[in-house]
Amino acid sequence: MTPIVAIARNTVREAVRERIALVAVAFGAALVAASQVLSPLALGVGPKIVTDFGLAGSSLLATLLAITLGSTLLHKELERRTVYAIMAKPIRRAEFLLGKFGGLWATSAGLLLLMSLMVMALVGLGYREAPWVLTGSILLTLIELGIVTAFVVFYSSFTTPGLTAFFAAASVLAGHFADDLLYFGKQGGSRALEIATTVVYWVLPHLTLFNARGLVSHGEPVPPERILFAASYGILYLGALLVAACAIWDRRELR
Amino acid sequence: MRLWISLAAAAALVAAAGWVDASSRPPRAGELDELLYYPSGTFVRQAALGYETAAADLAWLRGVQYYGEHRLTDQRFDRIDHVMRIVGELDPKFEEPYVFGSFVLAQEMKQPDRGVALIRSGLEKNPQSWRLAFETGFLHYVCRHDYVAAAHYFMLAAHAPGHPEYVDRFAAFASQKAGQDELAVLLWRRVLATGNKYMQDVARREIERLGETL
Repeated sequence: MTPIVAIARNTVREAVRERIALVAVAFGAALVAASQVLSPLALGVGPKIVTDFGLAGSSLLATLLAITLGSTLLHKELERRTVYAIMAKPIRRAEFLLGKFGGLWATSAGLLLLMSLMVMALVGLGYREAPWVLTGSILLTLIELGIVTAFVVFYSSFTTPGLTAFFAAASVLAGHFADDLLYFGKQGGSRALEIATTVVYWVLPHLTLFNARGLVSHGEPVPPERILFAASYGILYLGALLVAACAIWDRRELR
Repeated sequence: MRLWISLAAAAALVAAAGWVDASSRPPRAGELDELLYYPSGTFVRQAALGYETAAADLAWLRGVQYYGEHRLTDQRFDRIDHVMRIVGELDPKFEEPYVFGSFVLAQEMKQPDRGVALIRSGLEKNPQSWRLAFETGFLHYVCRHDYVAAAHYFMLAAHAPGHPEYVDRFAAFASQKAGQDELAVLLWRRVLATGNKYMQDVARREIERLGETL
């Protein structure tokens, strides 16, 4: 087993100990209750509403979980001084950080998949509609979750848990506004403003790429080329964040 | 034991908070007009942060609630197109708000032009939708009595992909200028078979008015 996989497995084990399964249980109960309450009020569009709320809720909860669990990820290791015991072994700092990233992504992705399976089961069994259409959107959300996790690891490599959570949430928020920022920059009438907003646009994550919920809730599958494009962008972007995080973590003085 | 006392105290405090809210909140008069202050769809779209389809569903449920409240009271649905346009901004592929909103405007409020304007805004966003084209034809036929425009939209629906077989029949009837009342009854019967419960109520009434038995 490589050190990265070992650290990732340990991170997942630690997260499971935090009783994150309760989130999935609460989500499942809320989903079933919502489908029973909202469907009769929706005038025939109950399946669409359950799909929309299910996909939105699972994505939101998994994102929040990645931010809250991840913000204390490195801080706890430093506080408990367990990081020194790990660093004493033949493990590079970058491997430690990548293992933490892998474990956190696997945990939040696992939770997302569990919640998504509940949505698919409800759509398939409760409404007799093909649930497979949703897979493209779920896959894109998994990649988006990878970017969010990479942001959390990046910020936690140099700042406090509180600020990590704040910066990560702000990055997610800004990532959804990236397209609007570019648009407003072009409307401003100033060349300097346009250049500045264009630069910021390319630095920010383009999270709208990973949102196909509007497509699948109308029964349209996500085209494979869109998934491929978004996956390529997502892997490159999160790769960039991890390279930067490893560089900072490598130089950080551990006290 | 102490845990149960604490839990009971917490439940009592929540109940008390609910009682304060229920007894002290200003009266509900005028609340039905709150959709006047509903923000524009563009604003809500940006504020929804990637969850615009869920936001569209919430707006749709609010619109249905608005209709239901007014149906029981003053039978005025002035804000229905405002809220349905917001739903359309948030989720342009969601056809139900255009169909239902335009139906309410044209049939219940006797403002077919407003109804046609709403459904045409949906058709502009979904030019391949047989359903929106067909419903536009329906409004022209039944509410505006513009049989030429109705035939045009029925033909448009018949050329759109995925349309059911009955669309071809209506397109043929309308172009042949078949008996107007007979075709109107057939159209209302289709609403009875495919519309939501509110639309079915109106369809029953109209079929009766046109002298047909159910």
